[in-house]
Amino acid sequence: MKKSVKTIIQIGLLLLALVTFTAWQTSNASEADNALQRVKQRGELIMVTSPDYPPYEFQVNKNGKSRIVGMDIDVAKKVAKDLHVKLVIKSMNFDSLLVAIQTGKADMAIGGINPTAARRQSVDFSKIYYSGGQSFLINSSDVNKYKSVKNLKGATIGAQTGTLQYGLAKKKIPNSTVKGMDKSTDLVLALKTHKIDALGIEKPSAEAYVKNDPSLKMISSGYHLDKNEVGAAIAFKKGSGSLVNAVNKSIDQIQKQHLTDQYLASAGKYMKVNTVNTSMWHYWTYFAKGVEYTILISVVATFFGVLIGVVLALMRFSKQKWLRGLAISYTEFIRGTPLMVQVMFVYFGIGVVINIPALISGMIAVSLNSGAYVAEIIRGGINSVAKGQTEAAESLGLSKGDMMRFVVLPQAFKNIWPALGNEFISLIKESSIVSIIGVTDLIYQLNIVRADTYRGVIPIFVAMVLYFIMTFALTRLLNHYEGKMKHAG
Amino acid sequence: MQDKTILEVNHLSKKFGNTDVLKDIDGTVKSGEVICVIGPSGAGKSTFLRCLNLLEKPTSGEVNFEGTDLTSVDDKHLVNLRERMGMVFQSFNLFPNMTVIQNLKLAPMRVKHVSDEEAEKTGMHLLGLVGLQEKAHVYPSSLSGGQQQRVAIARALAMNPEVMLFDEPTSALDPEMVGEVLEVMQKLANEGMTMVVVTHEMGFAKEVADEVWFMADGYILEKGKPEDLFDHPQNDRAKDFIGKIIQNV
Repeated sequence: MKKSVKTIIQIGLLLLALVTFTAWQTSNASEADNALQRVKQRGELIMVTSPDYPPYEFQVNKNGKSRIVGMDIDVAKKVAKDLHVKLVIKSMNFDSLLVAIQTGKADMAIGGINPTAARRQSVDFSKIYYSGGQSFLINSSDVNKYKSVKNLKGATIGAQTGTLQYGLAKKKIPNSTVKGMDKSTDLVLALKTHKIDALGIEKPSAEAYVKNDPSLKMISSGYHLDKNEVGAAIAFKKGSGSLVNAVNKSIDQIQKQHLTDQYLASAGKYMKVNTVNTSMWHYWTYFAKGVEYTILISVVATFFGVLIGVVLALMRFSKQKWLRGLAISYTEFIRGTPLMVQVMFVYFGIGVVINIPALISGMIAVSLNSGAYVAEIIRGGINSVAKGQTEAAESLGLSKGDMMRFVVLPQAFKNIWPALGNEFISLIKESSIVSIIGVTDLIYQLNIVRADTYRGVIPIFVAMVLYFIMTFALTRLLNHYEGKMKHAG
Repeated sequence: MQDKTILEVNHLSKKFGNTDVLKDIDGTVKSGEVICVIGPSGAGKSTFLRCLNLLEKPTSGEVNFEGTDLTSVDDKHLVNLRERMGMVFQSFNLFPNMTVIQNLKLAPMRVKHVSDEEAEKTGMHLLGLVGLQEKAHVYPSSLSGGQQQRVAIARALAMNPEVMLFDEPTSALDPEMVGEVLEVMQKLANEGMTMVVVTHEMGFAKEVADEVWFMADGYILEKGKPEDLFDHPQNDRAKDFIGKIIQNV
């Protein structure tokens, strides 16, 4: 590589780093506290939650319609009502809730969040609206083995990553191994298949599971904890004092009137409704919606991925050094970072500057990612076209553009078709990562069905079959076109 | 018309790395002339021919095409000049993703912006000239080597070039197909086409060429009328080369 090209690549990477840094800076910049005013002006209170944590928040399927319900939702509704605004509910992974409010994706995060000292450093909290207490779920068959928390010494304990339970299990249970997972549904499944011995979980959640699943039992944690470690509070972006104060007034009322008891009771009713019909057919609309979004994202990302790929590949063959350098930097950077990080960066990072909806963010990230891989495939394809072809085109006086369009690219695409097909198939599968920012693709829907039905395995199997049907259909389609191209020369 | 100079080469040199492939070559091609370039392999014949339309960029020297020095023009201008020089390659280089007639129509339509009908008409006429009208709508892969090379000649002719460059057009062919290609080339020569032909076909050179240039070691060592050069070569290397070839015949 020539030295100047190297310099350009270095500059390109530097610029990328700078953009990242600026985005981060902006997100940290303190603003005047107009949080309450903004909510009122908008007429909407936007909350984020992770609806896989009954009875705090979970999805129910009633009359074919999916709704997020639970105690937390009722708390949020009360808050919105008191502020005289409409409540808008967004859902995403628990891990991402605090990030979402820090980056202004939502006004508040609610989801059984314990206002620990560590969390208080990055977000503001309301007063505690509910104190649940910590407990453990165990298998019924182990009732005699784990009579109390003392017997858990040396056991393998599961907990949701990013939660208080995770840290507590590590600290308070001697010699334990703590396994973290994203979803409480996964953790329950791990418990039932004896991958873990006990599951650290909030008491109301544990009670909900025990009520719905006779193979599970609850034991008390016996932790002596500060109220900040057992209570649930609502999280806000730092510097939202005006909004926090307003919300605290609602919480005072909730406390005084013991409204959470009422909320928990109605959540319990929903959970009963929920276990009536847990057949997968009953949830076909969930899966259909997931398939629809997965296909939508894949089709859009494939289209723009190829477009970006062609442009990048042509830039690599440009006479302009800076174009070549830019294309190389881009490809190296995208290939060198995980898609998951890119998805989060587009949604949360770029979201600080321009607010892009989750679905669009997901499409952008997957397209940008695919573009880098497609570019390399196309570059290989262009190199695979015999030199005599370009010489013949040149000797006929064809312009560079026409030569690429009519002679080189058609032959290149034929050569790289199998490799491109591979890329498209992995794109369908990898698009599943957008579920972390709450895009309702197949994986996201799968997790909702699991949380909803308390059935851990069957929904996974259904999703697996659906993914296979999609990729297999694509394979057949690609083979059909490959056959056609072979026929043409 | 024999007087008009089409191509003039002055002090042409070409290096690949540290290897001198062409050393100080001079030559003139006049309108209607057929020049055959012969010589042992590695002499630089193909490189010389490829320097004439700047598929290879000369290291130094001039290539004047109708008065314009190709080595000094920009890329855009070069594309314009190239369309007036047809080239036929050893390996045919037909576009495999297009039918025969599409191969012929592409450049006239994209470069000269002639209409589809006109390109089709000219294309079919030229396919008639090389005897392949019935193959117009097949893909090149279904043609024999000889047929492909005849299509390649027709494709170059479709641009109505001032001069045709042939780079060992029969070397990649099975022996029984050499004749049909040479026949087409002879027909072209008879019609007055200006041609520069790098070839090992001495019979063709002897019969068709107006002048034969003998190349070895990057130099043109001898130029002359075919009867002079083949029967009474002056240069020792030429004598040696022609002697070997005649022995083999």
